[in-house]
Amino acid sequence: MKAIEPDADERQLIEAARRDPSRFAELYEANFDRVYAFIARRVPTREEADDLTADVFRQALSSLPSFEWQGMPFAGWLLGIATHLIARRWQRAAKQTALPVEALESVGVPEQTERRAIFSQLVERLPEDQRYVVRRRFIDHRSIREIAQELGRSVGAIKQLQFRALETLRMQVRSRHE
Amino acid sequence: MNSSLADQLDEAISALLAGGKTAPHWVREIHQLLPIADDLWYLPRPEFRASLRDQLLQRAGNHVFGALAQAAQRKAATRPESVVPPLFITESGAFPVRGSHLALSFALHVAALALVVASGWWMVENHAVVRNTMAQLIATDNYSLPPAPTTASGGGGGGDNDKMPASRGSAPRFATPQLTPLTAIIRNESPILPAEPTVVGPPEAVLPEFPRAGDPMADVSGPPSNGTGTGGGIGSGRGGGVGSGEGPGVGAGRGGRTGGGVYRLGGGIPAPRAIYAPDPEFSEEARKAKYQGSVILSAIIGSDGRPRDLRVVRSSGMGLDEKATEAVARWRFEPAHMGNQPVAVQVNIEVVFRLY
Repeated sequence: MKAIEPDADERQLIEAARRDPSRFAELYEANFDRVYAFIARRVPTREEADDLTADVFRQALSSLPSFEWQGMPFAGWLLGIATHLIARRWQRAAKQTALPVEALESVGVPEQTERRAIFSQLVERLPEDQRYVVRRRFIDHRSIREIAQELGRSVGAIKQLQFRALETLRMQVRSRHE
Repeated sequence: MNSSLADQLDEAISALLAGGKTAPHWVREIHQLLPIADDLWYLPRPEFRASLRDQLLQRAGNHVFGALAQAAQRKAATRPESVVPPLFITESGAFPVRGSHLALSFALHVAALALVVASGWWMVENHAVVRNTMAQLIATDNYSLPPAPTTASGGGGGGDNDKMPASRGSAPRFATPQLTPLTAIIRNESPILPAEPTVVGPPEAVLPEFPRAGDPMADVSGPPSNGTGTGGGIGSGRGGGVGSGEGPGVGAGRGGRTGGGVYRLGGGIPAPRAIYAPDPEFSEEARKAKYQGSVILSAIIGSDGRPRDLRVVRSSGMGLDEKATEAVARWRFEPAHMGNQPVAVQVNIEVVFRLY
């Protein structure tokens, strides 16, 4: 994932997408993980996270012609849209009358969000069997036994794959922050 | 790999996924890995990521056509620098040039240049012809001058078909208009409305006086006769005047007044005014010779405003006399008037042919 600091490349991407909306895909790929990580922590279910993430990018695409470059990272603009949509959803559901402080602090890109967003890329770099176990276990919420049956391996072997995958991810995260 | 660590980690992850809290008895390694497991809990599904990307691209596609059109316009605007074909460059990126097209383009340009040169030469050679098919017409009689007191002329004549020639005598006084013609022999002794006989002419004109009424220019003094003419009056002419002329005047002329011939300008007679005067054409002979000159025509402008008896007084040759006569014959005038009566007058008209 690219640095969140606004740079010339990001600005060129934005200008290109404003002239040619098909170039929006590049902005989407660069910011999807951030937006999803930001939203997923603030809604109770994965389905809601999916819906809100989709709404954020749809609104961003339609509002891109009016986007004015003010030096803020593009991800900050997207998270601002996400904050607005999350707050509106909460108000609509009447589950919470007061907005959470974290939701309002959306002008920049929270460090925690940025760290979580990295995991999508790190998981892609795992060995295939570890990557499969991580996806089935954490995304699809399968049990170790189910995964073992799918792969035709023992429960112990799947637990070992899970342990090695998380250890690898921890080492990679630590190396990125050192 | 310690299998107990893997078991503990799975136990902790199961508790985490179930919404429980971490157990304090887990070893430090497990506590270090649990935040990783917590973050993995919020990973997006790869298929969702791909499907949303496809949706956005499809949505963006609706804008692409407009964007493509704008891009085409921008490209067209910058085209001169990149698409103007270099004539003799063949490397990659150069606009291809076909020999046949190049030859055709060259021929068309040569033809266009030749056309421009030829038309310019023709204009120079035919400069005078093109600009001088017009001519200026000037009447030698100055229409705007006041009438001269002495140059008028005219005449009249009459009679009542008598077998005897008109007898000499005094003409009646001039007046305008004429109420009744003069007679040497009174045929109606008791007219219903008696009136003084007069002839048409200027009242100040003086004619010879005789003891009785008659034609002052008659050869015989008697016996009294109104003469062999017609239309009343005295003489051998016609028209109620006195003499051998025509009209209500005195003398051999016509149209009234005295002195003979048609009226001329002056003596209270203003010039007729041309109301339709088409320009004459240059003759082909004069055009080729680039000849310029003037023609003076004599014409009688009748009381109906039509010119007649056109004749050339001063010739110019080269066919210009005929062209001038043809043009003036088509002219129409507001006729000259003596008093309230339109009268025929003789005028001279100068037709000038000039090369500008």
